[in-house]
Amino acid sequence: MGSVFRGIEKLGPAGLVLEAILASLLGILLLVGFIVLRRWYRARYFHKRNQRTVALRSQWDDILSGTIPAEDWRFNPLDCDIVESILLDSIEMSPSDKLPRLLDCLRVSGLLDMRIYEARTSHGLKQQTALLALGRTRAMEAIPALAAGLDSRLRETRIAAVRGLGRTARVEAAIPILDRIVTGQFDAPERSLKNALVNCCRSHPDVLVSYVEQTHGPVRELLARVLGELASPELGEELLVLASDVLPEVRASAARALGNTNTAYTLPALHSLAADPEWFVRLRAVVALGQIENIGKISILLRSLCDGNRHVRQRAAWALARMEPHLNQILEDVIATKDDYALQAFVSELERSGAIEKIVSGFAGSDHHSAEIALMEVVAEARKRVELTGKTAAAAAGAH
Amino acid sequence: MHILAISNDTLFIYYLLSNVIYLGLLIVAIVKNVRHHHRLGSQRLELVKASPFTPPITLIVPAHNEERSIVGSVGALLGLEYPRIEVVVVNDGSDDATMENLRQAYQLQTARILYIADIATAPLRAIYRSPLDPRLFVLDKEAAGCKADAINAGINAATSPYICVVDADSILEKESLIRIMAGVFADPGRVVAVGGIVRVLNGSRVVNNQIEEVRLPKSPIEVMQVIEYLRAFLVGREAWAGFNMLPIISGAFGVFHRDLVLQVGGFRTHAVGEDLDLIIRMHRRLLEDRRSYHIDFIPDPTCWTEVPTDLKSLARQRARWHKGLIDTLWPNRDMLFRARYGRVGWLVLPYMWIFEFFAPIIEVVGYTTIILALISGELSKSFFLQFLLFGYAFATLISIGSVLLEEMTFRRYSDWREVARLLIYCFFEHFPYRQLTMVWRLQGIWQYLRGDLQWRSMKRVGISTNPLA
Repeated sequence: MGSVFRGIEKLGPAGLVLEAILASLLGILLLVGFIVLRRWYRARYFHKRNQRTVALRSQWDDILSGTIPAEDWRFNPLDCDIVESILLDSIEMSPSDKLPRLLDCLRVSGLLDMRIYEARTSHGLKQQTALLALGRTRAMEAIPALAAGLDSRLRETRIAAVRGLGRTARVEAAIPILDRIVTGQFDAPERSLKNALVNCCRSHPDVLVSYVEQTHGPVRELLARVLGELASPELGEELLVLASDVLPEVRASAARALGNTNTAYTLPALHSLAADPEWFVRLRAVVALGQIENIGKISILLRSLCDGNRHVRQRAAWALARMEPHLNQILEDVIATKDDYALQAFVSELERSGAIEKIVSGFAGSDHHSAEIALMEVVAEARKRVELTGKTAAAAAGAH
Repeated sequence: MHILAISNDTLFIYYLLSNVIYLGLLIVAIVKNVRHHHRLGSQRLELVKASPFTPPITLIVPAHNEERSIVGSVGALLGLEYPRIEVVVVNDGSDDATMENLRQAYQLQTARILYIADIATAPLRAIYRSPLDPRLFVLDKEAAGCKADAINAGINAATSPYICVVDADSILEKESLIRIMAGVFADPGRVVAVGGIVRVLNGSRVVNNQIEEVRLPKSPIEVMQVIEYLRAFLVGREAWAGFNMLPIISGAFGVFHRDLVLQVGGFRTHAVGEDLDLIIRMHRRLLEDRRSYHIDFIPDPTCWTEVPTDLKSLARQRARWHKGLIDTLWPNRDMLFRARYGRVGWLVLPYMWIFEFFAPIIEVVGYTTIILALISGELSKSFFLQFLLFGYAFATLISIGSVLLEEMTFRRYSDWREVARLLIYCFFEHFPYRQLTMVWRLQGIWQYLRGDLQWRSMKRVGISTNPLA
């Protein structure tokens, strides 16, 4: 077998290794050159951009009012970019009464039409940038172009369209998204869809109800989850229908939504959901119970405190430990359940909330002797528990 | 003589191949980084913060003798911009003032909080909470002699669906959690773990536990590590993650789905490289279950960490890393070239065996035989020099490539002089620094073979005493 070195050596001084050295050195030179040139170019560009920004900012009111005609800045790419970014930032931060003036400037200058055109005709990154910019304009006429972006073959473009529609924060922008996801064929990240729908439907959550009714499976769960975030008392009995849905995710969302209401049916509905066969529905119901102001929830939470699921127990304890004026009585009731895990969870939460000191000081001079003894026992038991290790502790705590 | 020729050929091919692979990774990383950078332009972090769908996260901080930095680190973590966080500090039997400093700074009080040990750990002494900040919990446990045990205790106490393990001597940037979670939000059903970039803290100006000004460290040994970290994270991890073959998420900063970590039994106690070990076991479990998953790397969420400032500490660290490597590769050798382990079994693990684990052995054997061949006249002097020059130039090209990547994307070293220094040090990284690391890695192999898995501490300056410019 001949050595590779010998083979290469035959090529002589101008052989492969020498060429490789030269190529590597050339590569090094190119990379260093590129870094230096790029630094120089960027420094120059940002200096110029800063100068133009200061100049345009000093004329901002005239640009907005049209006293300085759009032609003066619109056809200079740098000026156009600066004005657009200032306009979009202002639109995002402006109260509704200032919005028309800013939008007028976008329309009159043709910037909005340019972005609509780009969103419809470009591809890839340029199209995605245009879609996001269109969303930030919050203009009604941007919605059809954004909706068209939802049908792109590229997932990234579809995501940009969803995010753009979400940023408009208009209920009209939710419709194209909803129309597509009800088919069950629309592929975009669930989180982007949920965020966009929450933004768009915030003022009209009722729009979602009809879509929830006509969908099934994961799409129904997704919509119910959004509805759960947005539901308000105005939704009324629609929530009761969702609370008895066959899908547990929908029931969980109804429970979450009920936490935002405080009507006559809220407590009975949550009472029923807190006994749901699915643990996460019970959990949502307990969380919702924690949010509402109603003394009647104590008995439901006490029942949940003895739940077979650790998370439900913890959350019920969390809610109970924050019912400040009733804590002594609740402690007596928890002891009466004779459930060690419930008592442990409740005391843990009293610790977390810092209420335990008040309870202990409240025992002084009171006749809550059984509660005091039980509390001290739990504290002693807990001290032992943290000394336990590994599986022993898991077994002692009853794990799940 | 024939053996010398074979050895020289092997070294030549090995060296060429490893550099060509790294060049390939560099190209993939450039493409992926630039794409990610474009995406960042449209990312609105305030929307993520305001979203009701942003899941809570538990930060787990294992601490063993971290008296210098622990209070500052915890303060920085509590100040992170993320809507729902819980910080669980696990004091792993420190014999310095770590616990006392925490107790004083946060007025810790004993808490009777329900603690269920899903993963077995060394005994807990107590659980504390802070009345100053209800998001902070401190677990005081007996020392188990390993970081993994402390992390496992933190996982047991965590109440969030996601956990983030952060080193006590590190600083996370304020938006780093939101940025790293963007990787999860992209596809929550599939993404089970995400790693962020770890950068070198030495030399930078730190004010109120936040990086005020990014500067390169003064000493050459630390600057070399800056280049190494840039290459490892911006090139290696970015590219491997692009193919869903990321073999490691740094123990200093990574987010994991808590349920999955519990499913694989948590961090392996007494694993020398617990971070590498966990990710390989995650791959194994998910591939065996035939689940669709992604273990991702996001290059912009940044964790700043102290690196060794003296040769002795650096030697210990590198030996430990190499021990960690073999300590993970060996128990998972059954994954090699098995169809069920897909790309991980066919590409990543063989790469790690050949180009990571065996690298110091092959290099030392190669250097020896080349010198022997030179002495015996098997190899001409001119060719030997040419080969050395080629190897040096090619490796330098890759190092400069990683600096370029940093320049094209995140540009943390904004000063001209800093970049110039980085570039200059790229020329010195491959001699003699590379040869030193080779020796330290060989020491790691030797220690592993002798069964010496002891954790040797690193000399630290401490965050709070970092140079104030």
